[in-house]
Amino acid sequence: MRYRYAAGVLALMMSAGVAPQVADAVPTREAYRFFRSLSIDLQGRMPTPEEVAAFERPDFNLDAWIDQRLTGPRYAERLRRIYMDRMRLEVGSNFGFVSNPIVLRRVRVRDPNNNLVDVYYRRSQRRNRAETDADFCLTQAESGIRVANNGTIDGTATPVAADVWGARTVALRPWWLYRDYRNTNPSQRVAPNANSDAVEFEPVAALMNEPDGRTPTVSVRVCREEAQTAPTGRVYLSGRTTNPPRGTPLPGNRFNNPPLDSAYARAHPTDMVSCTAGTGVSMSDQCGCGPGLERCMPGASLGNDPPAFVLPNNMPLGPDVPLDNVAQAQSEWARFWWSQEAVRFLDDLFGNDRDVREVLTGRQTMVNGPLSQFYRTMAGSTCCGNGTNFDYVEPVSLFEPAQVPADLVPQDTNTWRRVADRGPNAAGVLTMPIFLAKYGTRRARAHIVYQAFLCREFVAENVELTPSEEPNLMVRSGCATCHTTLEPLSSYFTRVTESGWTFLPAQRFPAENTACARRGTSISGICGSFYDPQFANSTRGLLRGAYGSVANADAGPAGLARAVTAMPEFSQCVASNFAESFLGRALGPEDSALVTDLTTALRNGNYRSRALVRALLRADAYRNANNLGSDTWRQGAMP
Amino acid sequence: MARRAAALALVTALGCTQGAADEPTPTPTPTPSQDAGGAVTADVPVLRPRTVQEIPGHESIAQDTAPKEAPRLVPVEALMRSYMTLFGGLSPLQLQTRLRGSGGNLFDTWNDYLSALGVPDYAADIPRNEQTNALMLAAFERIGVALCDRAVESDLAAMPPTQKVVFRFDLPANRAVTDAEFATRFDVLHRLFFGYPASLAPPERLPRFRQLLRDAAARRATQPANAPGFNATRASWAVVCYAFVRHPEFHLY
Repeated sequence: MRYRYAAGVLALMMSAGVAPQVADAVPTREAYRFFRSLSIDLQGRMPTPEEVAAFERPDFNLDAWIDQRLTGPRYAERLRRIYMDRMRLEVGSNFGFVSNPIVLRRVRVRDPNNNLVDVYYRRSQRRNRAETDADFCLTQAESGIRVANNGTIDGTATPVAADVWGARTVALRPWWLYRDYRNTNPSQRVAPNANSDAVEFEPVAALMNEPDGRTPTVSVRVCREEAQTAPTGRVYLSGRTTNPPRGTPLPGNRFNNPPLDSAYARAHPTDMVSCTAGTGVSMSDQCGCGPGLERCMPGASLGNDPPAFVLPNNMPLGPDVPLDNVAQAQSEWARFWWSQEAVRFLDDLFGNDRDVREVLTGRQTMVNGPLSQFYRTMAGSTCCGNGTNFDYVEPVSLFEPAQVPADLVPQDTNTWRRVADRGPNAAGVLTMPIFLAKYGTRRARAHIVYQAFLCREFVAENVELTPSEEPNLMVRSGCATCHTTLEPLSSYFTRVTESGWTFLPAQRFPAENTACARRGTSISGICGSFYDPQFANSTRGLLRGAYGSVANADAGPAGLARAVTAMPEFSQCVASNFAESFLGRALGPEDSALVTDLTTALRNGNYRSRALVRALLRADAYRNANNLGSDTWRQGAMP
Repeated sequence: MARRAAALALVTALGCTQGAADEPTPTPTPTPSQDAGGAVTADVPVLRPRTVQEIPGHESIAQDTAPKEAPRLVPVEALMRSYMTLFGGLSPLQLQTRLRGSGGNLFDTWNDYLSALGVPDYAADIPRNEQTNALMLAAFERIGVALCDRAVESDLAAMPPTQKVVFRFDLPANRAVTDAEFATRFDVLHRLFFGYPASLAPPERLPRFRQLLRDAAARRATQPANAPGFNATRASWAVVCYAFVRHPEFHLY
């Protein structure tokens, strides 16, 4: 079909600067609509009149145009959406990452000059006074107020004596106020750009200003123990092994009993422990928040999850163009950047046309300043809890802190760096905090892999469910159909704690542990946190989740990634996922030939997404994906 | 996938309630093969979707291969980027400010419309809405109408066509456009919103839009000259713009 512009149209187009070079070289309506579809899928928007005019030129090379778009950010975003839609890698406030070893809350007291001052402290901080151990550093007698760890305050603030003030608290310049906080005398104060819509480093106003709300905060006052900077601390023994009888007055009129010495502390009284591990904070009074308080997150109140940073609630087009920017609780800071790590990881994967199997197997990732800070100083704060009973106090990480870029500071929100290797335990998205937080249990983690990467679903068989005490779901009637598959898959996540990312190394937690064998009808109490009494026998206990497959438990998430990507269903599923997204509909049996062709293109293209997308864009199914009704199709019309 | 699984579950449930001996055996969940240690391995038989003809008794039944799904909707992210581009390359927050205008009655904030527009909420596990619904269409309309009004305010003022973003043309002073003048200007808008020349559109489209312009101008002419809002010329071109951003071809691809 040929078309010649009406003279008036051409004149208007020329006046608007969008005239074609050759007036009679206009494609067919179908070609225009195909071009519009390509623009929407590869550029993320409809074509502009200028682009349409370029398309109309006789020398327009559509293949070259497509290939140019296959390297752009909108293309990467388009493919990323396929997997973000399936895995939904964001978590809300129901996953409250409020780890007491890292959260600095603040109490408003009166300094010796009777000025109101906010003093930062963390609830789990060990101190060598029973009156304040794991509590606020000033007693009621010293400050006039009594602070409870649930956020309530008794009494009225009175001026703190100068000698007490100097002995219990310190003034310093923290990381959230100074970019050069690691220097002896920091001077580069943070100044958020008020004219920018983009997400950037912006503490809430209450963190930036003094209690009067106007005076910029130059330095903050913090309890002395929190200001310590050593990387390790000696185990602290208080001498307390049992709580006093109920009714006994508590030291310093505190609300709760001070902490007791743990079994580990009693057994290792001279050991040095890492101050970036949760166990270090809970066992040593020499562990502080590090240089510039970088191991701790600030909060502008005494609340459980206090406000901390300004972040968007919604940004469907990315952090460069958010739809809002509002004050958020401190836990949102971590959740937000965890999700962005997955986004950047997928963008890097698709934008640079890496092997799509690396979605699961890749040991690389992308980090910015906040994520570097998290992995370097905060990720270990959830370790190791009851693991101390197994002498597990130094975290073995899914992302080794030594691999984190050392030069990134928390203010580098828009500087993203590729980390080539997170360490031997890393496996694509499977070991990222956002995945492990989103899918808290071993079974949930296995299930989403089964859905998103094998395109399968668990469907129960048609049998009557009868009461059963059989703990092994792989054999229990009515459960076996699904769990025969699910349990071995779940076992791959045995060594990653549920609702967290703490790794349980085989050296400390052998899958089969003779020390946790069944004694009579149960197993030892200290074993119960990690070993499953239902599957213990008289010779050994079995790590929770390992009953589906001990081999899989030891293979870990990386083993799951290798196994899944080696299955033929994996590449079929990638092809199906891409096709469903680009065609905008679920696939049916009539699409089997298309899926086969796309799968072949993916495999022949060394599992690179561009090879798959090129094949998809050239498929009749894509070109004919229509905005006309089924009746039109039945009548043989083209869209 | 989920839809297919749901269908299979429905088949399974029906088999359970009917309990007929000759019902097809429910398909259990496929199980990846395992080696001796229990590790899932790669030697899994490929599961091939079966065609209708492979089902016993269906060999000779004609198969309707026409798509049964709803038309393909422009992804909401692409729609938002398109709005940003078509209406002058603004950021969402700048666009929001412009949409709210001085009165603030046409548009509230993006956040108020995201759910209606079908934006997925990953944190709340709310999936992308790929089918239109009344709320979505109303939200599309609200945004489109607001954008058109702002474009009328800026583009139909005296300025060079190259600086205009939507109405990239001039209008004759003190008179209505002729049919020929309308056709050329309609083509500019048609290429902007639909991406192809108006001459390739269904033939009834041009006269319909022409009539729409006339009707809108006539309706405005019945009101007092000093009534609030646009004058007859601006009001009629705004209505033409509304018709484009409301048109199914704009939202589908």
